[in-house]
Amino acid sequence: MDLAFTPEEQAFREEIRAWVRSHLPADISQKVFNAQRLGRDDMQRWAKILGKKGWLGWGWPKEFGGPGWNAVQKHLFEEECALAGSPRVVPFGPVMVAPVIMAFGNAEQQQRFLPGIASGEVWWSQGYSEPGSGSDLASVKCKAERRGDKYIVNGQKTWTTLGQYGEWIFCLVRTSNEGKPQTGISFLLIDMKSPGVSVRPIVLMDGEPEVNEVWFDNVEVPAHNLIGEENKGWTYAKHLLSHERTNIADVNRAKRELERLKRIAKAEGVYDDQRFRDEVAKLEVDVVALEMLVLRVLSAEKSGKQSLDIAGLLKIRGSEIQQRYTELMMLAAGPSSLPFIYEAMEAGWQGDHVGPAHCAPLAANYFNMRKTTIYGGSNEVQRNIVSQVVLG
Amino acid sequence: MDFDFSDDQASLRDAVRKWVDKGYTFERRRGTVKAGGFSREAYGEIAELGLCGLYVPEAHDGLGMGPVEGMVVMEELGRGIVLEPFAQTLIASAVLGGYAPAAVQAAWLPKIASGEALVVLAHTERKARYRLDMCEAKATQASAGYALTASKSVVPAGDAADAFIVPARIGDKIALFLVERTAAGVTTRGYGTQDGGRAAELTCANSPATLLTTEGLTALEHAVDVGIAALCAEAVGVMDKTLDVTVEYLNTRKQFGVAIATFQALRHRVADMKMQLELARSMSYYASLKLNAPTEERRRALARAKYQLGQSMRFVGQQAVQLHGGIGVTDEYIVSHYFKKLTQLEMTLGDSLHHLGEVSARMQDTAGVFA
Repeated sequence: MDLAFTPEEQAFREEIRAWVRSHLPADISQKVFNAQRLGRDDMQRWAKILGKKGWLGWGWPKEFGGPGWNAVQKHLFEEECALAGSPRVVPFGPVMVAPVIMAFGNAEQQQRFLPGIASGEVWWSQGYSEPGSGSDLASVKCKAERRGDKYIVNGQKTWTTLGQYGEWIFCLVRTSNEGKPQTGISFLLIDMKSPGVSVRPIVLMDGEPEVNEVWFDNVEVPAHNLIGEENKGWTYAKHLLSHERTNIADVNRAKRELERLKRIAKAEGVYDDQRFRDEVAKLEVDVVALEMLVLRVLSAEKSGKQSLDIAGLLKIRGSEIQQRYTELMMLAAGPSSLPFIYEAMEAGWQGDHVGPAHCAPLAANYFNMRKTTIYGGSNEVQRNIVSQVVLG
Repeated sequence: MDFDFSDDQASLRDAVRKWVDKGYTFERRRGTVKAGGFSREAYGEIAELGLCGLYVPEAHDGLGMGPVEGMVVMEELGRGIVLEPFAQTLIASAVLGGYAPAAVQAAWLPKIASGEALVVLAHTERKARYRLDMCEAKATQASAGYALTASKSVVPAGDAADAFIVPARIGDKIALFLVERTAAGVTTRGYGTQDGGRAAELTCANSPATLLTTEGLTALEHAVDVGIAALCAEAVGVMDKTLDVTVEYLNTRKQFGVAIATFQALRHRVADMKMQLELARSMSYYASLKLNAPTEERRRALARAKYQLGQSMRFVGQQAVQLHGGIGVTDEYIVSHYFKKLTQLEMTLGDSLHHLGEVSARMQDTAGVFA
């Protein structure tokens, strides 16, 4: 048992750190450090820089052009990116659909789709949730009917994050109503430029159009865009959910944001207020405990000696912490967090701030983070999963 | 970065678990509680397993093992809510081995390793609560060594121990001394504690004392950190078993015609208990693995760990009683004893509020396990 990373792991970290710090554009990291609005260009610019280095698919095995890193190396890469102020990589392509294509797609699909994902050229979206299918995802109704060498897709997806930029979308579609709901689902890749696809942004409570509704009206999809076998999509989707188990805790970003919380608290004069400071101290312990939990999972994955089935815990705790640091930042700013000036969250805005510029996005960040305990399987669903493991 | 246990550590765990399961039954424990809360016989059995020499160097007939082995043993003793204060043996070994003059080490460490001598830390003064730098006890130079005058409170197994490690002031500086229970002027007033164990008020009146170190506060802080790591591990064992007992009960107890484990309100509570247990286990690892870090880093880490463990212990203990319903508040059923143990562990060597204060005072700009 040893807390320290090995000399090889340390050297790996140094290599990543040096590269990230010299390749991450300063205007982007400035936005990240100050929680200013990130546009499509910011996100894609960073994705393409990573893609050029071969690191956008940092979790990919070598045979598909990835670096072939182990669990600890992936973690160190994510940590160095987060601490340097990188934007989160939009996960739908490299983290979510790519592993499914690798595991269940055919060679032709792998050659057709993976290069565009690896380079960051093609923007992918996720088509899972529907108005009637949230936690009960297996009840999806969006229908795909086979006609010759095509599927005809009709229905609606929703909560499609950044779908307004999407070029391709991977969807769970209903191809059969026989048997259990899970057995009639297929995994289909759809070109969002196809006739009949329409996207409508949904403005969230922070004022940002972060998610979308996507409609499919008699959309023709070539049958060779079906991943694996018809009606086996649920199995593939579960495979996807089993990937990147520690990533969901997002502890690296929590560490960066805890540092930012301390800076804001100092600037706003509450860091020496014992009542406030104790709240920061509690969060610090929470972050360290979460990091230890993540490291335990990584160690178990690396050695393969013990299995730690606590993915549900990581999601619950990570999301609670994300909410808490945004809450404390807003509280630190106090009245200065109340003005809602949409433009003030834009980098380089020349208008008159009310209070310090760092206070402008804090309430919006707090509102935005309410999503974290809801998405990716609500925390109540996660508790069902955890209790199933414990109670049988 | 590796959290696997070695084969030797796994064997050590098995040996202790076997003794706890077979040799330290709930009935035997109940008998010990009735008889005062400490059994020298049971302590002797722990010594026979070779555990008392865990932190004693091999040169002094010990095993010369480290914090991870200490953690493994404490977890298992925790599972059996063992009354005998084995953590004190780890503390005494670390203090004597790390700070005492060679002659004192040679005289005491082999006896500690064999179990012949039980040496405990007697540092708590009533006014100081959990603070280590407040000390009214005084030592003065005497013809042979020192004479010590002190009143120490809630000393573990105080009237059964053979010697005490006692902080006292020489002038305005805290030093650590070794005082034997049979020394002149030493009196103990023993009593049972809330967890069923035993403690005593210790009074020394001009008692002969052996100087261990004049760097008393440094050594005392180290001693307490060794103790905190041990208690964190013990608490993990206690919580582990508490959750097991609760899960078994929920799957057995029927109401409204079904096992109460089918009710979602209770299932979610179990998920929250599991969360607290795993956070606690993570921070217990952290505590033990930081025990040999430089002082400031070690103190910060141990305070963080004890705060987390305190929160987890209170939640797991309270919820275990709640989920058991009426049977949970009885003396007859086992779960209340686990709850009381958790309560006492939270309040030993600094409670949650104390350690939150420590974490708060020691915060840096950076954050995380390695910061």
